Amino acid sequence: MSLWLLLLLPLVGAVCVFLANASIAKWISLGVSTLVFVLSVLMAVQYGEWGSAGTGFASHVAWLSQLGITLDLGVDSVAMLLVLLTTLLTPLCVWGSFTAITSRRKEYYAWLLILETAMLGVFSAQDLILFYVSFELTLVPMFFLIAIYGGKNRAHASVKFFIYTFTGSLFTLAGFVYVAWQFQLSQHGVWSFAIHDLSQFASAMTASEQGWVLLALLAGFAVKIPVFPVHTWLPLAHTEAPTAGSVILAGVLLKLGTFGVYRFVLPMVPEAVVAYAPAIAILAIIGILYAALICWVQDDVKKLVAYSSVSHLGFCVLGLIALNPIGLEGAVLYMINHGLSTGALFFLIGMMYERYHTRDMNSIGGLAKKMPVWSFFMVFFVLASVGLPGLNGFVSEFMCLLGTFIASGSAPTWPGVLGPEYAAIAAIGMVLAAMYLLIMVGKVVFGKLKEPDIEGQHTNLPHDVSPREIGILVPLAALCIWIGVQPTVLTDAMRGSVEDVLAPYPLIVQEQLDKPETVIIIEKEDTHG
Amino acid sequence: MLSLLSSLTAMPAVPTSEVLHPANLSWAGFILWMPLVSLVLCGLCAACKVKSKAPATITVICLGTSFLLTLVLWNGYTQPETILLFDWLQIHWDGGSFVANFALYVDSLTLLWMLFVTGLGTLIAVYASEYMEHDVGKGYTRFFAGVSVFLFAMTCLVMGDNLLMLYLGWEGVGFASYWLIGYFYQKPSAVAAAKKAFIVNRIGDVGLALAIYLIWSTFGTVQYDEITTVLQSEAYDASFGGWTVHAIPYLLMLAAFGKSAQLPLYVWLPDAMEGPTPVSALIHAATMVTAGVYLIIRTYPLFMLDDYALPTVAWVGGLTALLAATIAMAQYDIKRIMAYSTISQLGYMFLGLGVVTSYGAAYHVFTHAFFKAVLFLTCGAIMHGFAGQLDLRRLSGLRKMKGWKIVSYTMLVGCLCLAGFPFTSGYFSKDAILAEAFVTQGPGFEVLGWLAIFTAGLTAYYTFRVWFRVCAGPVHFEPGDELHGEDTSSFHPHAPRFAINFVLIVIALGALLAALPYFVPNETENLHGGWVAEMVHDSPARDGVPGVIVDGGQAEAHGTINYEIGHGDILGIDPHKAMYYISAIVGFIGIGFALFFHLYCRSAADKLRGKLLASRATRWLPTAMEHKWYVDEIYIATIRSPLWILGKIFSLFDRYFIDGALVNGIAGLPRVLARWFAPLHNGAIQSYAISMIGGAVLITLLMLFMPEIVEFLQSLSEQNASTEQVVATLGGGK
Amino acid sequence: MMTTFAPSALSGYLIVSGLLLAIGFIGFFVRRNLIVMFLCTELMFQGAAIAFVAVGRYYFDYSGQVMVIFILTVAAAEAALALALVVLLHRQNNTLDADAFGELQE
Repeated sequence: MSLWLLLLLPLVGAVCVFLANASIAKWISLGVSTLVFVLSVLMAVQYGEWGSAGTGFASHVAWLSQLGITLDLGVDSVAMLLVLLTTLLTPLCVWGSFTAITSRRKEYYAWLLILETAMLGVFSAQDLILFYVSFELTLVPMFFLIAIYGGKNRAHASVKFFIYTFTGSLFTLAGFVYVAWQFQLSQHGVWSFAIHDLSQFASAMTASEQGWVLLALLAGFAVKIPVFPVHTWLPLAHTEAPTAGSVILAGVLLKLGTFGVYRFVLPMVPEAVVAYAPAIAILAIIGILYAALICWVQDDVKKLVAYSSVSHLGFCVLGLIALNPIGLEGAVLYMINHGLSTGALFFLIGMMYERYHTRDMNSIGGLAKKMPVWSFFMVFFVLASVGLPGLNGFVSEFMCLLGTFIASGSAPTWPGVLGPEYAAIAAIGMVLAAMYLLIMVGKVVFGKLKEPDIEGQHTNLPHDVSPREIGILVPLAALCIWIGVQPTVLTDAMRGSVEDVLAPYPLIVQEQLDKPETVIIIEKEDTHG
Repeated sequence: MLSLLSSLTAMPAVPTSEVLHPANLSWAGFILWMPLVSLVLCGLCAACKVKSKAPATITVICLGTSFLLTLVLWNGYTQPETILLFDWLQIHWDGGSFVANFALYVDSLTLLWMLFVTGLGTLIAVYASEYMEHDVGKGYTRFFAGVSVFLFAMTCLVMGDNLLMLYLGWEGVGFASYWLIGYFYQKPSAVAAAKKAFIVNRIGDVGLALAIYLIWSTFGTVQYDEITTVLQSEAYDASFGGWTVHAIPYLLMLAAFGKSAQLPLYVWLPDAMEGPTPVSALIHAATMVTAGVYLIIRTYPLFMLDDYALPTVAWVGGLTALLAATIAMAQYDIKRIMAYSTISQLGYMFLGLGVVTSYGAAYHVFTHAFFKAVLFLTCGAIMHGFAGQLDLRRLSGLRKMKGWKIVSYTMLVGCLCLAGFPFTSGYFSKDAILAEAFVTQGPGFEVLGWLAIFTAGLTAYYTFRVWFRVCAGPVHFEPGDELHGEDTSSFHPHAPRFAINFVLIVIALGALLAALPYFVPNETENLHGGWVAEMVHDSPARDGVPGVIVDGGQAEAHGTINYEIGHGDILGIDPHKAMYYISAIVGFIGIGFALFFHLYCRSAADKLRGKLLASRATRWLPTAMEHKWYVDEIYIATIRSPLWILGKIFSLFDRYFIDGALVNGIAGLPRVLARWFAPLHNGAIQSYAISMIGGAVLITLLMLFMPEIVEFLQSLSEQNASTEQVVATLGGGK
Repeated sequence: MMTTFAPSALSGYLIVSGLLLAIGFIGFFVRRNLIVMFLCTELMFQGAAIAFVAVGRYYFDYSGQVMVIFILTVAAAEAALALALVVLLHRQNNTLDADAFGELQE
């Protein structure tokens, strides 16, 4: 039941926040979200399934039993890690909004807490419908966060964000329902939406059925990740969202897509994944390079970091479909690391924006002179993002690329359908990442001090970051170093779950490789799909 | 080739079971940790806003401890050891594992590198404590923190026991270099140079990363000793690894050429001179840039697996040496001259590696570290004393000025070594490489040898051009542009004080004494080349050590890989002996030209330049040399600008096509549909009610008359069918 | 004990129900006042309800009565909501003329 506690606490907190006085709303929400974090850490300590494939904290609650819909909760080790990421980022976001949000504060903090519940629901759902409901429920608070507290173009951005991702996930729902319906037919009218049942059932479907289900599921998840051609909502939403919104968006919401791939696509439709993996990989690689080049010409710092997310998540997708443990573990690690370092970057940009009311690299520069501590953290997280060894980004990027690299048909234990050529081209992204991020640092942090005219816009903030802001950044920085030095703790922890998901793959890949003609036919289908 | 590898087995290979002695040597980890301690303490100083020289003291003490520990380790060295510090990246899965621990691999090659890295690191930190004093309380702490980071990363690079740790150090030194080049962060040129260094290095890093993937997927490990074990194992045969073993050396080369500033990736190093001079001396001359050489020596057996890998290294090195030397001849900024000279000397080292004398390359790295450090540090002292003046046309006769004698004569020592003056350290180390170019027979190696000899002459010329201009001749000086509020007319150069002079003397002595290892007899039989050869001999690079490869009927083996190892000759004489004379003569000629043009008849140099510029046929030569052969411009035109334009195009494409046309287009469809129905929404409730009731009535009627409607539709389609039939029969009738 | 229910009696109920429906229908269309229009819809509701009860009774089927209770509940809820809206609208525009509220049009 502790997962329920975790899920309901923020909701209760949201109600309290809404009922309380506006001036103490922030303290209540900070208290509640910190409590949730402490609770989740305690749970992580108690968690008995680290390193194994099992599901921990499982609880069963019946809901609509005629349709087999339940409120089952439970987390495997990957989900547990993402739960921790969520509960860590939420209090930081609350704390980071103390000075930034000055109007309609109660609603703001209430929405943040509701968002936390929705995100935790996604990671801990063991039922498809519960998953889907939580998945969509994340949109509502985020919509309001952008629409009420966002920048100039917030109305357009929020509507686009909502409709775009919502439309995508409707296809996902269709895919889910199709699988459940087929399951019901095979079980003589007994419905079930349990993830476990449906995964097992779906993986036995025919190849063409799997292909359609894959497309349906990816329609939702690819938009969320976002994968190359369906990414345009992201820069807009990021640019317009308030700081905490961007942090949550980059830190957790994008991971809902990759988590969806991990949780549903990989176990449900293995044959289709094997068939479509090259096509997905090509899209991911295009995304890596394309978004990186776009980053290079951006003037808006926040937009640059937003596009960099598109580029970075490409590595994550590569790791996901490398179909070997090293790639998949790298991808999961990438989800966490991207959440930490990009989240921190958005915090830093927010701090800058609060002081100067601009994010334009042409009108701001040389802040190292005026804000040395801020600059230190900026350079630190940029380096983490670039993938400097010893920091977190390196480990996951390295593992994702290594996984892709060895995912060729000739690999002895885990044959895959990618290979060195995919990794080699994707690796160019490493150079480009260094290029655009260092150019950004060179303009904003270094060089001659250049400040926009901020007369008439009084802020009570100190020149450099305040202790509160340092308090937000330090935990993230510490985690970046810790993961960089001791990644093995995390990779060991997720090993069982990852191998469980990948278990059927070597056989399927081998079958595909043994039948060259079918591979060709499927690849032809790719071009149509 | 195969038998060459099998010769590795024949060598007294160290049994891996004996390698692990984690208990007794774990203190060696402190060589690594001391710079980190220094970094943390510097960080504390920064946090407490310390306004004294404390960071320098801390750094010097920590680095000094590292150096002493290295000395102790070297003194007690008997055989290669692996020292596990902690588990770093260990990924196990069903059927395999990827292990890269934070562990040290100590063999004599490591020790050779560590001795001069930590030793020079300490000395240069002492030097910097005085050099950077104008920044006490401002950037002083940041500077020494950067030096500490660098030493830590460099130690990881050299001492790591696997390629991933080398990669950690590899990017770490790149980052430290970024940090320190960009030390004067308010200067746009410094920021740009720092960025350029990091990005160009990143290209090399990608090569290294890919090479690591390939090595791991081929050998199943990234640990040096295990790679050697696999290479030595009997499972090895001609088909081993397929294409991968041929790709590995080229990717490693990309990495090495990036870090060690070789063609085509050398462009970052000259710009890196924007950093403070101690940084240039330590990172961009003595230690970091030799990492590429270290990498190739460390992975030498892998280079043996491809027939053309080492010749490529040789040619790239030789051409870089020549190109950089020609640019150095035409520059006026003495620090930049030294930068190009560094590139040129690194080219020699790669030439040495390519012509299979890893010993010569390592020895040149060793001597170069000292004499180039001296040269940079003297340049720094001059820059420090003359308010940033580095133009050799605006400085003259330093050796006659009060307080500048030590600087002038230590600079002379450095110049002599660099020019390869007989019996200096540079003379012996350069000869080892030059001679080997004639000994080893490979594609065009003889041509390369002559090119390298020619380059040696150029080197002597441009080196002494600096010295004769700056230190000799009549006393004359103009201050640079960093006057700190002083007036140009009342300017007095401030001569270096104790810390700088002390370090200059120590390192200059080191540069001279670096000739001694050549004469140290070593214990291995048949091994000539002294102490350095002994140090290299114990490492994977032993095939490039004289006496190892030559002995014992290996010629047959090398026939298959284009190396006729046996003695080639030069003009009918044994190259090793001939080179003593040839290089001395070439050096004297170079110095002679410099003497004439830059001391006795300085106007002649300008006249010559004027003449070359005046004639249309020769104008390109000085122009191109002064503009560094336009390499930067070519890169900007062929790589940077096209990519930037591509980025712009993509950005517009993203905005107007993907987002504009596709996404908004699809989103616009419902709006178009809505146009048709919009008139129904006129705002009058009654009209809504009518349409509602109308709809209800329609549905009711439909339900009531459904059978009739279905019947009607069926009759329609039957009619259609019958008319078609009629048409068909009519058509058939005609 | 159920008494029988003559077809003629049923037609009486249905006529009343039809009249109510028709009155409500016509009232809804010819009046402009929001409250009156709302009352007209209520009339239509009740007309439908009478038809349900009568026909249910005629066939001895309780579904008709169930439906009526359902309708009454919904009507009550809807009445509360609608009246609240009407009050709001009146505060906004100071009128209850239905034509004054054309803001929802495209």
